[in-house]
Amino acid sequence: MMNYLIILAGAMMIIAAVFAVEAKKILDAVIAMSVVSLVSVFLFIAMRAPDVAITEASVGAGLVTAVFLVSLFKMKGGDEQ
Amino acid sequence: MIETFFVLIGIGVVLSFIRILLGPTSSDRVAALDTMNVMLIGTITVIALVLKRGIYLDIALVYGLLSYLETVVISRYLEGRK
Repeated sequence: MMNYLIILAGAMMIIAAVFAVEAKKILDAVIAMSVVSLVSVFLFIAMRAPDVAITEASVGAGLVTAVFLVSLFKMKGGDEQ
Repeated sequence: MIETFFVLIGIGVVLSFIRILLGPTSSDRVAALDTMNVMLIGTITVIALVLKRGIYLDIALVYGLLSYLETVVISRYLEGRK
């Protein structure tokens, strides 16, 4: 049962990474990158590595999104391209 | 019992992911991302129950706090952008 969930999570991670590269707006790319981080937290838990999962959760969900969006606030040109 | 939970969570995650992929606006994507965060926290808690290890609950705690921060930051960006 766990194996099917891990395969689903890996496929979802690849699709979200491709979507983050190909997205038109920067905010959609940030959201897709957050999905990649979310799925990787689940994969670390499924691989029985709780400490790596805590680090990935704090870096991927908190720090990267906050830094990217604060820099988007500071930018003048809007989020097109 | 556990299998039923995982099947239902899998259906919910797939539907939310489809909404993230083809949502017309960014607000749909933020709402679907928050839904996926909540489902991941529930899944971590059930895994902690299955494996009988208390350290997984710490991950659920940290991830819940930080996913809330993430949703608030993205929503403030969407609000201030006009």
